[in-house]
Amino acid sequence: MKSFIKYSGALILTLATLHTQAQVTSERLLHTAADPGSWLLYHGSYDGHRNSALKQITPANVGKLKLQWIWQQRSRGGASEKFEATPLLADGVMYTVAAPNDVVALDPLTGRVFWTLAYTPAPEARVCCGRVNRGLAIHGDTLFMGAIDGHLLAIDTVSGQIKWNIALGDAALGYSVTVAPLVIGNKVIVGPAGGEFGIRGFIAAYDVGTGKEIWKFHTVPGPGEPGFESWKDPAKEAWLTGGGSIWTTGSYDPELNLMYWGVGNPGPDWNGDSRPGDNLYTDTLVALNPDTGKLVWHYQFTPHDEMDYDATQVPVLADINFNGKPRKVVMTANRNGVFYVIDRTNGSFLLGKPFVSVNWMSGFEKNGRPIRALAPTEAGTFIMPNNQGATNWYPPSFSPQTGLFYVPTWMDTYSVYTKRPVTYTPGQQYIGAYPTMAVPALSVRTVNQRVHEEGYGAIQAIDPATGDVKWRHEMTDVTDSGVLSTAANLVFAGGREGFFYALNATTGEELWRANLGGQVASGPISYEINGKQYIAVSAGSGLFVFALEN
Amino acid sequence: MGLLGLGFAANAQEHSYAPSDIENGRGLYQGNCLGCHGNNGDSVEGVNLGKGRFRHASSDEDLIALIRAGIPSTLMVARPQFSYGELRSLVAFLRNMQTGGVLTAADTREVKIGDAKAGQQLFFGKGGCSKCHGVNGGGSRLSPDLAGIGSQRSPASLETSLQDPRKEVREGNRFMQVTTKAGVVITGKLMNQDTHSVQLMNEKEKLVSLLKKDLSAQAMMPSPMPSTQDVLSPTQVADLVAYLLTLKSEESAK
Repeated sequence: MKSFIKYSGALILTLATLHTQAQVTSERLLHTAADPGSWLLYHGSYDGHRNSALKQITPANVGKLKLQWIWQQRSRGGASEKFEATPLLADGVMYTVAAPNDVVALDPLTGRVFWTLAYTPAPEARVCCGRVNRGLAIHGDTLFMGAIDGHLLAIDTVSGQIKWNIALGDAALGYSVTVAPLVIGNKVIVGPAGGEFGIRGFIAAYDVGTGKEIWKFHTVPGPGEPGFESWKDPAKEAWLTGGGSIWTTGSYDPELNLMYWGVGNPGPDWNGDSRPGDNLYTDTLVALNPDTGKLVWHYQFTPHDEMDYDATQVPVLADINFNGKPRKVVMTANRNGVFYVIDRTNGSFLLGKPFVSVNWMSGFEKNGRPIRALAPTEAGTFIMPNNQGATNWYPPSFSPQTGLFYVPTWMDTYSVYTKRPVTYTPGQQYIGAYPTMAVPALSVRTVNQRVHEEGYGAIQAIDPATGDVKWRHEMTDVTDSGVLSTAANLVFAGGREGFFYALNATTGEELWRANLGGQVASGPISYEINGKQYIAVSAGSGLFVFALEN
Repeated sequence: MGLLGLGFAANAQEHSYAPSDIENGRGLYQGNCLGCHGNNGDSVEGVNLGKGRFRHASSDEDLIALIRAGIPSTLMVARPQFSYGELRSLVAFLRNMQTGGVLTAADTREVKIGDAKAGQQLFFGKGGCSKCHGVNGGGSRLSPDLAGIGSQRSPASLETSLQDPRKEVREGNRFMQVTTKAGVVITGKLMNQDTHSVQLMNEKEKLVSLLKKDLSAQAMMPSPMPSTQDVLSPTQVADLVAYLLTLKSEESAK
């Protein structure tokens, strides 16, 4: 009897420990810097840095990185899609998503699977650009995943059971979710993709416990709402199918209590005749109060976009020295080819500088509005960058150690944009004529027979104080990879060719590479367990984990 | 025409299509298909719309049904909104996609089309074409096989390719020359390249792979095909064009 009491006591203690471990509180999410061994948010931290404080792997020893394990995903239909998810690492468990919507919990030391939730999206789900998923959010013992049928799911971290499942919008009308949600306090915040199907986009907050909607901010304002005046069609109906989708995760400044989201393109994409005006808040960075969803300020990168440039690039927050003064800024390398620095307290434009060849605009007015040079025509217009953009959803990184912004880039690409008539049919693509591209946008092909002039890839390091490119690591093919920087002066990133690189964060010098045999189209992460630092990245259909040998 | 296997030809192109249908289909393709299938119709692995290579359909009616119904669990969603006439136009365009892709309007210049029989003799005889080009096999692996070329190209673009073969060379037919640091020069068809290596089919039709760190130079080469200009008469060129136009499907008889 005595031994039984002793045993059950130990059991209670163990369960209690596990229970404590499995709580990712709102407080912990605010202080990820104090917990560098974990990866609790899509960007690693609210500021969007994707910078790890771990320093065991250094420029001196990174050449000795060794593969620890590979996990091969086997989801239905996922093997032919890009593996875009950034994993989370919380309390000794790794969580990721295999396309389209299989959630998996893995042991981060062995790659062995605890559980898989194979969610089957509704058959009417439709997406423009791949049946993909970019990752999860976590709060308490709950994971949150958006699905390509427009649903948001809450999933138990321990069992993989669905706790609640709500529809954000009608899948048959093109509402889908590919973005990793963002948790702030007791809210899970997310928005729908579908800008190619004539949706009306929004960012909305749901209660983490129940899925009940708390607030909704329409990215395309309706009658009576500020910004509606920027939709100037006489019939006043373009806003109903105005687009403004959400498909990259926002960032958050707890001190200012502002969050920042990039909003997608207006609909239809490549013929703006039915929607005269600037079409707010498409192609816009919006700063919202996360408690209320109220708009505090906005900056529009591409007014009246007809090139599908979006603004769905990650807004990265930092306090930098700008023109001799400390400034709280938000930085973004936009799909339209321009790197922007904006005062994140009030939205004032500080700097805009192209980081690839750009011809759609010729400069800026004083207030930061671009001077438009080109637009699609019936005969076709040659425009740089191409429709896939100078960069895209691929998450960049900022290193507080080097002060540099690292952006995955499609160098010097172009499209011919042709204006053709377009009509809205519910549930069908509402776009106009696809622009041509020498480099296929969504290709999972493994062969590259193109020439340099048709476009190539690079990881570029930009100095945000000037917008100057400090170094460029070029690749023959383009890259859909995210970037990870570390406090040990390293940058990790890859590309479509399947190479995964470690670069010197200050100089760009290649220090190590591995051929992963499938394109890197995700954000690498770093984590630590038992005093050992790991680097994880997905490529092709696999998740690869590296570390130094003991 | 005598040797053309009409039974095979029916698979790829069932009849001739009206130019207006092809043009309407081009617009529909640009608005609905190009995003995934690409400018040349070959962006989806294993599918080449321009060459009539489909996974799930072969006849015009198959294609129309497939586009209407879509393919479950793929990006190929159902498109019930298209009328039968629109889908006929789209198929007409797919059957007539030109080298150079969607935005390359068919070169519709009137050119002289000669005698196919004479062209065939020239192709396999003193014209020397068959030394490199096969028709459903028989040629060099370095040169594109021309089976099906007649359903992919307009008469004018065929004439241009004969007279100015360097004007446009598509992916898959490009040549590269590399020089190793040891001074060895290798010319071959570019099969693939990445940042650190290049894969070629060399002039002896062997597959070779080279690390770029071992090279002192690499450069794309012009097409090795000689021009017919000053070699063949205008009548002979017209005969060749006529013969090539008879090669309607990938199973074209030799």
